[in-house]
Amino acid sequence: MRPLLLVIACCWAFAAAAQQGKAVYDKSCALCHAAGVAGAPKFGNAADWSPRIARGAAALYTSALSGTPKGMPPRGGNAELKDADVKAAVDYMMAAASAPAKAAAAAPKPAAAAAAPAAAAAPASAPAAAAKPAAVAAANVNAFNRLLRPASRQNPPPAEDGIHDPKNDGTHVLQAPRSAFDALPRSNAGNRVNWVAALEEKRIAPRWDRADPKASGLVLDFNIVREVKGSMPDVVYPHKQHTEWLDCSNCHPAIFIPQKGANQISMAAILLGEKCGVCHGKVAFPVSECRLCHSKKKDTAAAAAAPAAGAAK
Amino acid sequence: MRNRKPGTRALAAAAIGALCVVLLGAVVAPEARAEYGDVVINNHSDKAGMRPVVFPHWFHRVRFACKVCHADLGFQFRAGGNDINMVKIIDGQFCGACHNGEIAWAIENCNLCHSAPPGTPTQVHESTLQRMGKGALGK
Repeated sequence: MRPLLLVIACCWAFAAAAQQGKAVYDKSCALCHAAGVAGAPKFGNAADWSPRIARGAAALYTSALSGTPKGMPPRGGNAELKDADVKAAVDYMMAAASAPAKAAAAAPKPAAAAAAPAAAAAPASAPAAAAKPAAVAAANVNAFNRLLRPASRQNPPPAEDGIHDPKNDGTHVLQAPRSAFDALPRSNAGNRVNWVAALEEKRIAPRWDRADPKASGLVLDFNIVREVKGSMPDVVYPHKQHTEWLDCSNCHPAIFIPQKGANQISMAAILLGEKCGVCHGKVAFPVSECRLCHSKKKDTAAAAAAPAAGAAK
Repeated sequence: MRNRKPGTRALAAAAIGALCVVLLGAVVAPEARAEYGDVVINNHSDKAGMRPVVFPHWFHRVRFACKVCHADLGFQFRAGGNDINMVKIIDGQFCGACHNGEIAWAIENCNLCHSAPPGTPTQVHESTLQRMGKGALGK
């Protein structure tokens, strides 16, 4: 009786590991590996997998955990996965590719022994695997922000950023953005750095003069409120944050006539790189951050009381 | 869409799949995920057989206020809008105001600036204009 129990226990443990691998695969790997997107080795495809398996499981674990330059994101883009989860998923995919028949034969037995429904655990044979992707995609209906860049892929080092040539020796000498940004306050856009806060908190001390580290400029602290059409909050333009970085001559008079009401500004112009768009949308925070500018709530009572005045403007 | 012929759905799925592959391919293969505000300058580089220049705004704004370059040194607010060449730089203009071996490393480190893949067009990376398709990577 005892050997039989042992066999059942072993089989059950094996099935549990396979099930964990499958769960991770379905959640984090299938999006690319089910269909073989962008060069990803396709699930159950021996031709794709055999050269990789030949290099050993350790190499595959490393690729899966750390990502590859070819496009495999670290941990399949799911930073929350534990090492064991990732390895289980790799094992599951290797098993499906190297011995689909064996896996299919092995799986139902422990599942039956554990008196569980077999369907869930059974790693499918090749034709069934081909049918899987659609089901996986459907099961993933609640996944969101698929096209957003996950945190693990933000601020990559120069050699991986696609704009520097990795074949250029100088590329590898350049500072990696993260080594600077890790110490700075974060934001949700642009460099993912809140540059204004970084300056206010004195985390950075940009020189005001090319050669003189002690030089400082004149900071002008007054706000200009621009009333805007529609329901958007009015724009508050702070001279302070701008004059901490810029000289008056940077904006006046070429971009903005220094007189209230003399400047026609529209979001269209800004999107095309004019007016505020000379910097915002290129280097200063981008136009996605609407409320950083549109920050003054309209006085709705006053607006309702004087609709004619508003229309006349 | 209601009375789908058999096979239409498969065809649609294949088309969507192909589209996804194209899109993902575009994203994954030559995908640029450089820093917001990284400027590629390729006014003369390709013609001169050098890699185009990558100017990292983020690195410089940590160290200098915008006005140092854009007011004192006369850099226009437009990628490729400054006719910079090595003669001017050696003469102390533009980049040469600092990249002279005193404030920052000197010009013999060609490959620290000339570091973009050959053929990369002039652009501000991740700028609104680039995202709208003007001067996008690969165009």
